Amino acid sequence: MSQAELTSPRIAAEERNALRQSSMISIERVSKYFDTRRDKRHLALSEITLPVTRGEFVSILGPSGCGKSTLLYIVGGFVQPSSGQVLVNDRPVEGPGPDRGPVFQEFALFPWKTVLGNVTYGLDQRGVPKAEAVARARALLAMVSLSGYENFYPKELSGGMKQRVAIARTLAYKPNILLMDEPFGALDAQTRTRLQNDLLKIWDEDRKTVLFVTHSVEEAVFLSDRVVMMSRSPGRIQDIIDIDLPRPRDRASLLLDRRYQDYVVNIERMMDAQTGDHS
Amino acid sequence: MVLRRFLPALPPLLAFAGILAIWELLSLYFGLDGLPPPSVALRQVPVILTDPQSLFDIVDSLRRMAIGIVLALVFAIPVGLWMGRSRFAAAFFNPLLSVIYPVPKAALMPIIMLWLGVGDASKILVIFLGVTLPLIYHSYQGSRAVEEKLLWSAAAMGMQPPARLARIVLPAALPEILVGCRTALVLGLITMVTSEMIARQTGIGNLVFQSLEMGIYDTVYAMIVIIGALGFILDVLFERLRGWLVGWAEPAQSIIVGST
Repeated sequence: MSQAELTSPRIAAEERNALRQSSMISIERVSKYFDTRRDKRHLALSEITLPVTRGEFVSILGPSGCGKSTLLYIVGGFVQPSSGQVLVNDRPVEGPGPDRGPVFQEFALFPWKTVLGNVTYGLDQRGVPKAEAVARARALLAMVSLSGYENFYPKELSGGMKQRVAIARTLAYKPNILLMDEPFGALDAQTRTRLQNDLLKIWDEDRKTVLFVTHSVEEAVFLSDRVVMMSRSPGRIQDIIDIDLPRPRDRASLLLDRRYQDYVVNIERMMDAQTGDHS
Repeated sequence: MVLRRFLPALPPLLAFAGILAIWELLSLYFGLDGLPPPSVALRQVPVILTDPQSLFDIVDSLRRMAIGIVLALVFAIPVGLWMGRSRFAAAFFNPLLSVIYPVPKAALMPIIMLWLGVGDASKILVIFLGVTLPLIYHSYQGSRAVEEKLLWSAAAMGMQPPARLARIVLPAALPEILVGCRTALVLGLITMVTSEMIARQTGIGNLVFQSLEMGIYDTVYAMIVIIGALGFILDVLFERLRGWLVGWAEPAQSIIVGST
């Protein structure tokens, strides 16, 4: 089965069922309109079909305004699609749930809670006993290199540290799926690189299914098993590229790897060709 | 070193000293009965503060003010938070509020006295009305400005909408709500005194106007000074409370106002 067939909206019913069975997430013909002014509707997403298998790291790459974040929010159940549906573990998504943990570019930490309070928040919410919640939170904070910051408030942390807390907070309630919305987009280049490496290390431990929205080609290629390229106005899947690079991935050796370079250059060319923008 | 520590207190002290000086000069210049110099009027402050009846009146006023403000908090914060999260609630309450806002609440006192008499109930209701609107307004603003992704993060943890209002929207909007509370404290004090001017029985307002009618002007001015000092002390105490409650807030969220 080729990639083109997978993305086509007209997959035969039995083929779609076969797909569903192997899929952790199945995005099926999802479209999203936004009402702008009277009678005017903006088509943000058009007929997106995308299956994601269990344990797969999939990046959604596209220019700003292509609806890639909206697609992620629809999978999260935060936004309703105008048509189509999303299945997670064969069940249609009807709203947010702890099986899908979001990580946002804006961190979205609870500013009135300490670092520890943020990480245990979801556990308290799930009814995990206090002592167990605190123990798990401490272990996660150690994993994201934030031991010793338990009693700090978010405002006292740098952007990179905030995002580490946010990742720990989401991992705490053990979602099967991570929905990452340009999580490193607001960070400086050095912090960003460090967090990418850390994320891959964490992911390698239990290989959660990850949907990762980004507009950085290098980031998408470095992290992903597959890169879904989107075009804008309306947001459609332009292409899906399998990233056939060995894991665990080491940044330095990848940068020297001819295949990595080819992926990055080819994807960048395709994006340029699509937008006609060489600036 | 000592100078540097006391330097921040210098401008406010200068301001107070300046006012007293101008007051003293004006009263010497005009020599009116109705404008005694501060050197005479301020001597009445310790007299009032050691008189059991006056102290009782002051405490009684503060008690009514506290009840009125607490009732307003209990009513206004949930309404404001709800308005910020529900388009229906906002569309329902907004026109009502913009009609009620400009009405001077103390002017309703005579009407309310027809219903509830001259006792505590009328005065508490007027204080409640006086402070409710800024509280609703600031709660509404705070609630509307809550970052959507905070709510999404909580929803992903399995938190249902009613719980989100209490556990996410309320704390996230707290810095803005407390701006409303600070306004409410000042308005509460003003409405309290005004209500006691109209329904004379006990209280600070009653003390002021009784002395005025009897021509004891130094007591009148001493009472005005005491009311001002009360407002100042309440504000300082409230700022302490606010620092303790929302010390976690980002600088962008914190409120820069007035004295502190």
